[in-house]
Amino acid sequence: MKTEADYYALFDAYRSGELAAPQRTDLERRLAADPDLARRLSDYETLTGTLTAYGQRLALRRKLNAIQADMDAEQAVRLSTEERPVPNPFFSAGEAPRPALRISRTEEKLRQFWGSHRATMMVAASVAVMAVFATLLGMEWWKARQQPSVYGYATLRREVDRIKRTQRVMNKAINQIGTPATPAVNQGKFSGTGFALTADGYLVTSYHVIQGADSLLIESRDRQRFRAEPVFTDVAHDLAILHIKDKSFKGFGRLPYSFKRGQSELGERVYTLGYPREDLVFNDGSLSARSGFEGDTGFYQISIPVNPGNSGGPLLDDRGNLIGIISGRQMDVQSAAFATKSSYLMRLVDSLSAARTGQAYNLPRANQLAGTSRPQQIRKLRDYVFVVKVYE
Amino acid sequence: MGKGQPSYTDEEFVAAIRRGDDRALAQLYRLHFPMISHYVLQNSGTDDEAKDVYQEGVMVFYEKVRDGSLELSCQIKTYLYAVCRRLWLKRLTEKTRFGGRLDDHEPYLETGAEADLELAEERDRRFATMAEALERIGEPCRSLLEGFYLLDKSMQQLTAEFGYTNADNAKNQKYKCLVRLKKLFFNQYQEFET
Repeated sequence: MKTEADYYALFDAYRSGELAAPQRTDLERRLAADPDLARRLSDYETLTGTLTAYGQRLALRRKLNAIQADMDAEQAVRLSTEERPVPNPFFSAGEAPRPALRISRTEEKLRQFWGSHRATMMVAASVAVMAVFATLLGMEWWKARQQPSVYGYATLRREVDRIKRTQRVMNKAINQIGTPATPAVNQGKFSGTGFALTADGYLVTSYHVIQGADSLLIESRDRQRFRAEPVFTDVAHDLAILHIKDKSFKGFGRLPYSFKRGQSELGERVYTLGYPREDLVFNDGSLSARSGFEGDTGFYQISIPVNPGNSGGPLLDDRGNLIGIISGRQMDVQSAAFATKSSYLMRLVDSLSAARTGQAYNLPRANQLAGTSRPQQIRKLRDYVFVVKVYE
Repeated sequence: MGKGQPSYTDEEFVAAIRRGDDRALAQLYRLHFPMISHYVLQNSGTDDEAKDVYQEGVMVFYEKVRDGSLELSCQIKTYLYAVCRRLWLKRLTEKTRFGGRLDDHEPYLETGAEADLELAEERDRRFATMAEALERIGEPCRSLLEGFYLLDKSMQQLTAEFGYTNADNAKNQKYKCLVRLKKLFFNQYQEFET
């Protein structure tokens, strides 16, 4: 009777092919006949197979560990050369204590955190930077657009776009009744009011009316048009002086009003003419305060209902003295409008004449309006009040 | 990473590893390590865990290649990624601190990696049993068997090392040891199975 070990010797020889031919055929015959023996062989094979595979696995693990160690070593070398490019000069080359790469636990944690969240943090940072700059630019832009208007204060230049549609409808209606169509007119983007300063083509309007303008067009009551250019602007007092450049312009003729150099009294009855719509509009009220929005002493407060488009219009008192230029109104207060004081306009004109000797401003001296009734005053006045059209 | 070494295509990698080319294995290992390392670190792992997972993944791949049973339907990279992803998922659930979605940065494809992993797990269990059986068999059987099967020493070397009079004696001793190992191994293995 063979022991199990003997069988294993036999199997080993069988598998390695050392068995002589007759013995092999004998074994194979017995394996076919005896299931017990066959099971024994398969057990043996599982065992040796597992052992060999296990050995290979261990060998592979050793290989991989070696590769990994190689990589780690390279990494460490790279790190240490990066971090310590200059050897410490106080130690001679031989006895220098090997400075181990010392990283504290917190630093290690931080590095790990940085390593794994770097991309996210970069994105977040760039979004933040962009948001900051967008906000700043946006605010800057907004401010530039709103200047010089302050919260609660509305300037009164008129956006013409709004009424374009009605205009178009009217044009259509005109076409339908068969009259020859008037050529479509470029309405400009904004409009305000202006009035003559001198007889030889200087005009006054509000600065915010012409703010950001590419070109200006002055239109009189009888639809005559002149090209104008700003000569001087005063942002603080919301004033602008324009000059008509057209060759065809012959002059306004004698101005019927004069400019008041002093200040007017409270309660004085005042009125204005302007172009809040296509036609000249008259409005009146009284002078209600000698300071403007938030106590600005450059302005009067007046109780005249003004509308967008009134800006730059003349403010006159009962005797036909020009005392101010309409500028804006306060949104949250009933009919509180503001007008630049004429004294500031006079000071501006004086300083301009002084600075530029060649161009004298021949201001009107005589007042033809004093003592006449208001409709008469207006009839004289209306030819000197113009629409200022602004193209951007 | 090149350093003048030849660079392989996927097919060349498989062929070279099947031939037992260690240089190809090393290069493959280096090539894809950053991807897995990044993935594990992104998903609340440490450097060492990344290395462990990656080594296991490469082992699965390597053994499949050596078996000749690998049917690669995708890039090696994708295969390794799928295997390592699965392994890491398992580790995380074992650590029980995993509650959320994994943060993938590669498209997750059906690569057959799942089935391969189950086979690999089965094999791991067998190896673990074998290691335990070897632990319990005692000397000198353990050294003899380890020398022959695990360290690839020849019978002559072992005869000299263990002081047997001739190679046949050593062989007989080896067979006896195998019988003992068989009992230990199958007892435990079957115990494990049931």
